[in-house]
Amino acid sequence: MRHVPEPEGRRGRRRPPTYYGVPPIHKPHWKWLIISYFFLGGLSGGSYVVATAAELFGTREDHDTARIGRYLALLSILPCPILLILDLGRPERFLNMLRVLKLRSPMSLGTWGLLTYSGIATLSTAAQAARDGWRVGPSGFLRSVPGRFVGALGAPFAMFVGGYTGVLLGATAVPLWAKNARLLGPLFLSSALAVSSAAISLILALLPGQRHTALDRLRRAETVASMAEMFCVAAVHLNSGPLGKPLVEGRLGRLHLAGSVGLGILLPFALHAVATRLRLPHRPVVILASLASLTGGFIMKYAVVMAGHASADDPAATFEYAGGRRRLPIGEESAPSEHGGGRPR
Amino acid sequence: MGFLTDATLCIGCKACEVACKQWNQLPMDGLELTANSYDNTGDLGATTWRHVAFVERFEDGKPAFDQPPFQSGWLMLSDVCKHCVRAGCMEACPTGAIVRTEFDTVVIQQDVCNGCGYCVPACPFGVPDLSMFDGKAHKCTLCYDRLTDGLEPACAKSCPTDSIQFGEVPRLMERARDRVTELKRLGVDGARIYGDDQIGGTGGIGGLNAFFILTDEPEVYNLPARPKLPQDETLPGLLSTLGAALLLGAGMVFSFRKR
Repeated sequence: MRHVPEPEGRRGRRRPPTYYGVPPIHKPHWKWLIISYFFLGGLSGGSYVVATAAELFGTREDHDTARIGRYLALLSILPCPILLILDLGRPERFLNMLRVLKLRSPMSLGTWGLLTYSGIATLSTAAQAARDGWRVGPSGFLRSVPGRFVGALGAPFAMFVGGYTGVLLGATAVPLWAKNARLLGPLFLSSALAVSSAAISLILALLPGQRHTALDRLRRAETVASMAEMFCVAAVHLNSGPLGKPLVEGRLGRLHLAGSVGLGILLPFALHAVATRLRLPHRPVVILASLASLTGGFIMKYAVVMAGHASADDPAATFEYAGGRRRLPIGEESAPSEHGGGRPR
Repeated sequence: MGFLTDATLCIGCKACEVACKQWNQLPMDGLELTANSYDNTGDLGATTWRHVAFVERFEDGKPAFDQPPFQSGWLMLSDVCKHCVRAGCMEACPTGAIVRTEFDTVVIQQDVCNGCGYCVPACPFGVPDLSMFDGKAHKCTLCYDRLTDGLEPACAKSCPTDSIQFGEVPRLMERARDRVTELKRLGVDGARIYGDDQIGGTGGIGGLNAFFILTDEPEVYNLPARPKLPQDETLPGLLSTLGAALLLGAGMVFSFRKR
């Protein structure tokens, strides 16, 4: 037997030993269909909540806010089942989701929550349409529906639809998501409320008439939600530690920082601040800020999903999260075929 | 019932991979070579339910010649679904397609699965995967069809060195403990059981019905040391979202209230 002495002082330079860089876990297949669902489901749930708040607590000026919120809630939830069913490997079996209710499976809870919410949102919107003079369906019955009561009943389900998607991501083995399992729900929910306030503002600003009071109140709602979202984004970054690298580094990281934070949260704040100081015309500023907020909201969901993919593909991230004694530098290209080398035997 | 896969007995012949594919009529994964050692399947997946990992270890680019016995520099392990005592895939499954069988194994019912793919990231070991052939999730069934006929699983049957042993979990565990004691006596200090909740290889999963004897840290074999059950985060996640919903709801009320 030949003994090969180990040269001194070279151990530190070795790249991390993994199994040929093969990820120890599988990433989900979720792409555009699911990202779009996350955005539209959030938009719908958020619009429903904003509409309900405007209806229950607002004044005469908030009447149109509530009305637009109701219509937007239905319009944005309509494509959701289609997106979700198209994403299935066997779309014709989508009804199998309704075989069981499993309290520990966020996807099962989500199926039933979404179903319940869709029903209530449809009823609310139909009642709104009947009150607005549309003569479709049993308009006599729909006019007698207690809109405020149904709104209050549906709002918790709308909140659930806005937030459960984050919990769904968290209850996986994907290190970045699992590490932030308690933050992703609040993050998605606050983003949902921010984008829906922005969307309703956008539509109000595009309609004729003076709507200063309504837009101001929506602006207030959006500020509350955006501040909560900013808080959640910051909390995710602080909580992730080295696992958060996909959210700050590389193209995806730049997109997340510039898009979700810059475009979605900071730019609307800045626009409104500048507009107030310089007394710029209200309408274009609202339109611009709302578009930025909506785009940022979409980018945030895209970034969180894709960063999860990157995290699942990084063996070092899984080994860090599923805590052995081994700590590998996360996010570095791992060297092929060097295994545990150099460790003293 | 379960598996004991003893890495110290594995000779890397891949009889288990072949037997598994033959019995379960799984297609091949293509004629590509990974160019990583003798491993040509790379990973467990929809059409690979046994995967033999080949871990070559080097000392500064050269193979280490001065090696203690039992695979210290040339590790082989036949990886498989762990049939967890608390299974992440099963808890995630929204259709109830994934069930625990009368043999205490975890099986995906192919006539129920609708290919939602949630079990794929929900497994802390990266076992199930969606098939591009039929869109459904697949993984090891521990040869459910053979078990119902009183046969042992195809991989265990074909293993020429008994590196893969099939049997009742407590009995296999007893055998594994004896084997680890024996290996330690023979100078394999790194010998350990992976998948015994008492030794702590598998954290919150409560143990594995298909467990392993390893000679080094689990990560060397691409296994997470302390996997967590993903669904343990469902309730905390929902509660924190509820908290956020209450705060944000108050914020919305505040925004629209008359002043």
